[in-house]
Amino acid sequence: MKHAKILGPLLGMIFCICIVGVPDSRAEQISLNYRLKWLFNTSVAGDIFAMEKGFFTAAGLDVTVKEGSPEKDAIKELELGYADFGVASADQVIRALDKGADVVVLAQIFQINPMQWIYRDDQIQITRLSDLEGCRMGITYGGNDETIMKTLLAKAGLTLKDVQVTGVRFDFTPFLKKQVTLWPVYRNSQGVILAGQLAREGESVRFFNPADFGVDFVANSVVTSGKMAAGHPDLVRQFLSVLLDAWEAAMDPSNQKQVLSAVKKYDKGTQGEVQKVQLDATRDLVKPRPDTAVGRIRREAWAQTEAIMLEQGMIRQPVHVTSRLRDLASF
Amino acid sequence: MRLECSGLNFAYPESETMVIQDLRFAMDGPGFHAVFGPSGVGKTSFAKLLANYRSRPELPIQTSGIGTILYTYNLERLPAWSSTGRHLDRVCPADRQDLKKALIDIFQLGPVVGARFSQLSMGQQNRMNLIRYLLQDFDLLILDESLANVDEKLRQTILLAVKELFSHKMFLYISHNLMEVARFCKDILVLTQPSRKKPSKIVSGQDDTSIPVLEKPSLDRVMLEVMNAF
Amino acid sequence: MLFRRIYQFMIVYAVFLGILLVVKKGLSLSDYVIPGLPLILETAVHMSTGFFTDVMDTLSVAILGQGISIFLAFFVGILGRKSSWAGSMIRVTAYNIQAYPIVALAPIIFILLGDGFLSRLLIAAMICYFPLLLSVLGVMAAPVEDIEHFYIATGRMRWQLEVKIRAFENLSKLTTVIAGSATLAMAGTIVAEFIAANAGIGYSIRIALYQSNLAAILTALFMIGIVISVYQGILETLGEMLKAKWGSENKGGLL
Repeated sequence: MKHAKILGPLLGMIFCICIVGVPDSRAEQISLNYRLKWLFNTSVAGDIFAMEKGFFTAAGLDVTVKEGSPEKDAIKELELGYADFGVASADQVIRALDKGADVVVLAQIFQINPMQWIYRDDQIQITRLSDLEGCRMGITYGGNDETIMKTLLAKAGLTLKDVQVTGVRFDFTPFLKKQVTLWPVYRNSQGVILAGQLAREGESVRFFNPADFGVDFVANSVVTSGKMAAGHPDLVRQFLSVLLDAWEAAMDPSNQKQVLSAVKKYDKGTQGEVQKVQLDATRDLVKPRPDTAVGRIRREAWAQTEAIMLEQGMIRQPVHVTSRLRDLASF
Repeated sequence: MRLECSGLNFAYPESETMVIQDLRFAMDGPGFHAVFGPSGVGKTSFAKLLANYRSRPELPIQTSGIGTILYTYNLERLPAWSSTGRHLDRVCPADRQDLKKALIDIFQLGPVVGARFSQLSMGQQNRMNLIRYLLQDFDLLILDESLANVDEKLRQTILLAVKELFSHKMFLYISHNLMEVARFCKDILVLTQPSRKKPSKIVSGQDDTSIPVLEKPSLDRVMLEVMNAF
Repeated sequence: MLFRRIYQFMIVYAVFLGILLVVKKGLSLSDYVIPGLPLILETAVHMSTGFFTDVMDTLSVAILGQGISIFLAFFVGILGRKSSWAGSMIRVTAYNIQAYPIVALAPIIFILLGDGFLSRLLIAAMICYFPLLLSVLGVMAAPVEDIEHFYIATGRMRWQLEVKIRAFENLSKLTTVIAGSATLAMAGTIVAEFIAANAGIGYSIRIALYQSNLAAILTALFMIGIVISVYQGILETLGEMLKAKWGSENKGGLL
């Protein structure tokens, strides 16, 4: 098999220099690199479970699961040869396609986007989008939540000028100090922590889920390069099959104890009780109904996501993202 | 006016080598006296000790009729932010403006008072520096190589002028120029290396007050005496 | 000095961009990983006006922060110049605090002061303050004996004169450090904006990073480089003028 390895930092900021190729088969095991979108925590429980419980090894795969971070971009790593598979958000995939990247989507981990807004239920009642008018809310400029909120507001005939926006930073102080009413959080990680924190102070919260108002912006998905999908379909199928099996197992409530134990090994900073609630929340997002197949790709949601991005000028032309969606059956 | 030293010893901290050992001498009266000796014999160390002896009561140095002691040395500098003339103005007491003008004239610095210190030659710098000390209140002024880099003729002119203008003051002139010291100084303290176990001694110089009175045999005798002293 | 700074930056930037484009071509990378020249130019045309405004916003905070840090550095440096217990305490404290990465303190600053102007200003000032302080302390604590001797011996020495002598004697060092700290102030402001502010070029870079828009980041870097080159060039030119007028270099040094 050919390989791509790119080495060497460039001017301390941007990396470069490489060699080309794909996965490495040593003895019977095939070595693969899998780049996550974010740090190890409960929201990647399936990935951790696959690694810890030997799902990959049993299938003859030597998979290195690498943590993500805001600076890491799985799609770039696929192209540069640092990774063979990765997790990317839908907007990353669509932007990458807009700029000529060769990427395909293999599975949609979150059926419901975890990016939601937390609010105190005694401060606001959101039953229709027009309730947002005049509301003080946090928005990460340039982030997904800005795109989603603009779309929501547009649906109600509003713009960002009709609400009071506070730029989101790394801490929750503006929300905790009640300077803002709505604050964007990842429902299954920060959302759990904040809700717990406020519950201890006797405050109850709700989450504003854009999908409930018809904005179905896709979140994290498993991706690989088009070259890999076309050149090594067996390997892609094998990897994807094992990964989805692991996610299914991880989302099975009967495996909760083992999953939490595996997650704890990698996320030592979060308390066990919190992780338990986070796992429950993750399960609701990944497998909202018992009959939902983990990783199901919802084409209409992808089409809507592309349409939103095109409308907001985030991409220059249609990228036909639905043509880049593959599921297990297509391999 | 009397300056007396009765058994001065000095070694630098954490050094066992004596720089000055059992120095004994006395100098009387105003005028131009000298400290002479080869390099490393402790002339500058002695000068600095003398300049600050009042803050070190343990030193066996006694004076009478001497209030303020100033010490000036070769390569001292004036600040760079204004001209040398302005610096002189600032440090010159109001009642000594005429003296200042006279000194600038004698020291041949008139053309450069508008220049900054860094723009002067080394000889000009030393002369400029000496003027500002001469304008201060002092009873004893120690001149440590203060006329270095000044040509011989001008140096003689300056020495004679200073002797005349400040005849009531005491000077201690440190120089390596034997002929100059022998000719223009009154008492010459000849320092010797402590390791040579030869006591320092005072040699009487010619104490000339004008250039034409050069007496060669007499000068030779003084110089020989100084040379024999170390 | 000013133009040399600008063309030197242009050369470095062109080389940097050239290497990126060679890598892009050599590895057949998409515009998503490394944008091509047409995309960079298109982005530059589209965003340069906004980025220029952002850079000027950042620069204004940086200049103010640098001004505050210069004032503070001289204030503390003058207080800490004596070899007294208090002076020694100030020096040791300054050295120790300097060891802390200011960026690590940034979250606390943002929590206390919010993500507005004050936080950016404070971080900018803090980042260039400590290197400045160490230089000022070094300068102010070192006697210039061959100048100070006269004033001490004649009883004319005052603290103002002492400071003036030491500052003038080290004019070259101080102007170099002050000009150099402009970069630090700018970097500090950008870092602050990147972490949590809601304005400035650092904030724009963060948005571009969220959107994986390397072309925008390259445009922002160009703007930052040009503006900082001009600012530093101006500072250096002023420094040269100061040194020419007040410097203590002897004339041999001018030969």
